[in-house]
Amino acid sequence: MTIDWRNYESEGLFDELVLPSGRARTGAGKLVQALAKLSDDELVERKTAADLAIRSMGITFSVYHEGTNIDREWPFDIVPRLIMKREWDEIARGLKQRVRALNAFINDVYHHRRSLRDGVVPEDYVLRSREYRSRCAGIDPPYGVWSNVCGTDLVRDGDGSLYVLEDNLRVPSGVSYMLENRAVMKRIFPELFEHYAIHPVDDYPSELAACLRSLSPRAVRSPRIVVLTPGIYNSAYFEHAYLALEMAAELVEGSDLVVGDDDCVYMRTIGGLERVDVIYRRIDDLFLDPRAFNKDSMLGVPGLIRAWQAGNVALANAPGCGVADDKVIYTYVPDMIRYFLGEEPILANVPSYRCAEKDHRDYVLDNLQDLVVKPANESGGYGMLIGPQSTQRQRDQFVRVIRANPRNYIGQPTLALSTAPTIAGKTVEPRHLDLRPFILSGKDIYVTTGGLTRVALRKGSIVVNSSQGGGSKDTWVVEPATRERLQ
Amino acid sequence: MSVNVLSRVAERVYWLGRYLERAESTARLVTVNANLIMDLPVRLPLGWRPLIDITGSGDLFESLYGKGHATERNVCRFLATDTRNPGSIINSIIGVRDNARTVRENMPRITFEYINELYLFARSALVPGQSRSRRGDALTRISRLAQQLEGFLSQNMLHDAHWELMRLGNFIERADMTTRIIDVRTVDLIAGGHELLPFQDIQWRSVLRSFYAMQSYHASVREPVDPPLVLEFLFKDERLPRSYLRCLNSVRRSLRELPRNGAAVDACDAALSALKETDVKHLGGLEHSADLHAFINACQIRLGKLHGAIAETYFT
Repeated sequence: MTIDWRNYESEGLFDELVLPSGRARTGAGKLVQALAKLSDDELVERKTAADLAIRSMGITFSVYHEGTNIDREWPFDIVPRLIMKREWDEIARGLKQRVRALNAFINDVYHHRRSLRDGVVPEDYVLRSREYRSRCAGIDPPYGVWSNVCGTDLVRDGDGSLYVLEDNLRVPSGVSYMLENRAVMKRIFPELFEHYAIHPVDDYPSELAACLRSLSPRAVRSPRIVVLTPGIYNSAYFEHAYLALEMAAELVEGSDLVVGDDDCVYMRTIGGLERVDVIYRRIDDLFLDPRAFNKDSMLGVPGLIRAWQAGNVALANAPGCGVADDKVIYTYVPDMIRYFLGEEPILANVPSYRCAEKDHRDYVLDNLQDLVVKPANESGGYGMLIGPQSTQRQRDQFVRVIRANPRNYIGQPTLALSTAPTIAGKTVEPRHLDLRPFILSGKDIYVTTGGLTRVALRKGSIVVNSSQGGGSKDTWVVEPATRERLQ
Repeated sequence: MSVNVLSRVAERVYWLGRYLERAESTARLVTVNANLIMDLPVRLPLGWRPLIDITGSGDLFESLYGKGHATERNVCRFLATDTRNPGSIINSIIGVRDNARTVRENMPRITFEYINELYLFARSALVPGQSRSRRGDALTRISRLAQQLEGFLSQNMLHDAHWELMRLGNFIERADMTTRIIDVRTVDLIAGGHELLPFQDIQWRSVLRSFYAMQSYHASVREPVDPPLVLEFLFKDERLPRSYLRCLNSVRRSLRELPRNGAAVDACDAALSALKETDVKHLGGLEHSADLHAFINACQIRLGKLHGAIAETYFT
């Protein structure tokens, strides 16, 4: 049997495509109809075609513990997620505003600390953050921008309102999947593209290259840009290679680079040493330079930080930018926007409780079963407590860790994340999702059109990370469907 | 913007070329040896041991299987499936795969599917202790898949510096293997002494077969199989793709396409002029076996120096 949207149970949640009545949301009509026209076999056929395309295009991600078989195919759902252009424009404006404020804040932290003195963010939180790097103080990255590539996670709650869940300011990944998802969709559902004016996404590599070029310390016509990867065993290696290829940049490992006596960075080639101007680094701060940070790092380049401090090479993102990528600092972002930009925030934060503050902490400890508790500095969904799905033992453990280190935790209400129809066997069922747009800041500021929609493929799950059973969808930012209206 | 290859990538494509050649020639070697043995009387001292010597892994073999245990089963396992032997076929194929993984941006995407096919086939088809005919089929297929991969790259990969570096690996490994095959068969003949003499013809034919060169020999030399002529053919016939001379010339041609090639070209020229100055025909007689062995030794040392010059210039 084919899809009958009247039987689609989104269980009182906000669904991105389908209204509780089973009718399509504004703009989603053509898509919902097209899906309902497919027979079971056709649906499975398209799904199979997508899997095949992904395999032959070699879209993979790696999982650390798998030993020899390190490449896994990227789990992809063929039902796209729709966002109307008008809503998107507002979101994009909000994202730019947010990233401008965050970069202003980071620059302030490493210079005059005005915002700390004025009590916008408690100084103690900042200076004791695990991501604060004292040796970055006084450095002037181009345009005062520290986080050149930011991936901000957005979620929608049950009532349809949108929240910023977190700002990934350090080395956010996933953008290559956003690009590949679109390529796969074009291959398997070309007819859908006839019905919609879908905004393209594939200008991202050129925008990224332009952003990186704008950081070059040398005024040369084509500065040498490299993508610095930890190597093939990194879970995002596919993306590193993909972006390097798309930007016609060199994909390098730490051992390919050397810092000369002139404090410039060079790469070793068969033609000898070649000067490097901009490093898009996909390695964490602490592994960048064994002389400056982690002495045991085999991934880094000895002397790299010295070369950066001397202004001879640009590092994107700048070391130390993670100081604002901390779940406790996150709670102050709306205040930063008011303080640095004199504007009201366009995008809202998820209401958050800081465990370092006594009344907040008491509330969190008393309501663990209803809250999500997050550590300040983890990513990938690790080290979290999801209250409603937790056991008493896990909650007891969190009581202990919160009391031992309250600064390191925040609590948030469990959001009823929005859903979208997702293939499950021969039909579609609602699955929870989020959205990660990418924001590029250099000389100019740019936001991807849409972003990467991540979806929790397991029924009821709200964990969308690929390392933990998540998949992804193509994200369509669409104009009001004129053709739909004409009919 | 210049298009120089990263040193690390250069090293990986070079080894990709070497491992691919090694996997293919080792598979071929085992097959040819199995055929040879069927033609020789059982009482003769020959057997599987020469293959261990050809691959230069006598010490490792003995430490793993003990002295005097060069049985067909042990030697085949050691050369084909033993992951403790860095030169085994399976490890060579893994070497191809791992090196290709890090340079896949520089190859047509589908290359990786060919490599995976080769790897998956080798892993499933090579089983220790399998019957001769199954082993023979598996090795033949591996040899073919490896040649198919090489052919695919030759026809479809961009012939840029990456390609030349891979070719360097191919040809240095091939030159090395050519000298080893000749060396061990001649040493056999010395060791076997007069008892083996009646079978000398079969031995030399098996050498030629190791290079798929039986028909080529007849077409080129137009004489019966005769040791001096075979040696001349295998060392110096520019038209034979696996001849030592042809391999060196190919290395030289690839080097000319690369920057900073001075030291490596010099090392290659040294090997070429040493070959030119040697009357290899003269070394064909049984009484000159020791001289032939010494000459081959010198060839391998020159190849080692050539590799050293390439590594020094391009990989560091």
